[in-house]
Amino acid sequence: MTIEAINEQLLRAIGVGVALLDRQTLQFGFRNDTFEEWFSAETQPAQLQQLFPDLDVSAMQENLTGSGRYASEIRFKKKRRTLVIALDFTAADEDVLVLVCQNITRIKELESMIDSYSMMVERNTREIKREKEQVEKLLLNIMPRSVYEEFKTFGVVTPQMYDPVSVLMLDFVGFTDMVASQDPSVTVTELNDIYSAFDRIGEQFGCERIKTIGDAYITVAGLPDPTPDHAKAIANTAIRFVRYLTRRNLSHPHQWHCRIGLSTGSVVGSVVGIQKYVYDIFGPAVNLASRLQEFSEPMQITVQDDVATVLKDQFDLENVGARTIRGFSKQDVWRLSDSN
Amino acid sequence: MAERTLYEEYGGFSKVSKIVLSFYDSLLDNDEVGPFFDDVEMSRIVDHQTKFIASILGGPASYTDNQLRQLHSHLTITDGHFDELETVLRGTLLQHGMASEDVDLVVAEFEKRRPLIVR
Repeated sequence: MTIEAINEQLLRAIGVGVALLDRQTLQFGFRNDTFEEWFSAETQPAQLQQLFPDLDVSAMQENLTGSGRYASEIRFKKKRRTLVIALDFTAADEDVLVLVCQNITRIKELESMIDSYSMMVERNTREIKREKEQVEKLLLNIMPRSVYEEFKTFGVVTPQMYDPVSVLMLDFVGFTDMVASQDPSVTVTELNDIYSAFDRIGEQFGCERIKTIGDAYITVAGLPDPTPDHAKAIANTAIRFVRYLTRRNLSHPHQWHCRIGLSTGSVVGSVVGIQKYVYDIFGPAVNLASRLQEFSEPMQITVQDDVATVLKDQFDLENVGARTIRGFSKQDVWRLSDSN
Repeated sequence: MAERTLYEEYGGFSKVSKIVLSFYDSLLDNDEVGPFFDDVEMSRIVDHQTKFIASILGGPASYTDNQLRQLHSHLTITDGHFDELETVLRGTLLQHGMASEDVDLVVAEFEKRRPLIVR
């Protein structure tokens, strides 16, 4: 076999469609087997435009004159499958045009599949992100952000001592009777409104609400970030809680009266529990605030001696004398009033 | 930890993509169910098959019963068509090395959707 004959054999059998055309008339001169296989039609058109009616011939000629090359793509259906063939024209010399065709159907199908897959994955990613944000929001409701960050990074929270902080303990007068005598769902809805308002007020003064247990509400100033003004912050918050309830009672049929106790000291904050974890604080200041609250008449704020010392210059305080406090030494307690 | 889906067990998308392509080839060559795709654009068929295979293997696509009913409502699909597709699906999964008990599970899931598709 001659070299020419081998070349021709190769050209015929190769998996790429090859055709030679007359540069001027665009008549086919040679078509290899692959080309015939792809573009076999009963009529066997002898001319390029007849075979590919959608081909932009003027653009092709322009490119061939300029760079000697032109690339295009055609799609057609074979049975019910869409074939995509890349056409590559090269001007070999003055008279001959070489057309090389590659079957890029699979590539196009893969591209479509990647599109489809990435759309699914992206949608799922968005959903997961949304869910994650909701979980985060829930966790931020039960613990301060800095604690949450630690929890997220290490999976545990190291108990931390906060010293000094001020604790506010609030309790509603006659809540149990209220639940019993009125529609409990209404009572709870109102409680939710009130707690939400308390949260907003506390936030204004940099207080961190720790928890609510039924009708008891505990918030702290000076945690997790130390604040020199923690006593003032807690006093301002307490005064506004009372003010809010007073105003609310004017326009609502259900009357809400609270007792408040304020204390200062150190607390330990940590996440407790493994499955059902909750962020909580522990320490004498928490207990003291709870005891002081019991000394309050409805809508009154009882303040620990140490807190009163700090607040005296700026707040309206009245000494109500020494009291014996369960678990603590006998000490002076004070009444904080709204000076406005 | 949640149970692994077949989709994950059989190697995620890198494996599933091969199943999708061969399923696509078999469907188009099949003269029983192929004609449903005669006038459908290629990228839409591929999209459809990708989601189909991904969803029946528990991958990142899922359809509610209502969606499935809606999506097939314009087609006159008979029990014969459904059976044929089931055969093609079974064949494709086996050909890609899926254990026959897993194939049975997938086909059983597929079979559950019959009333939504066939009319």
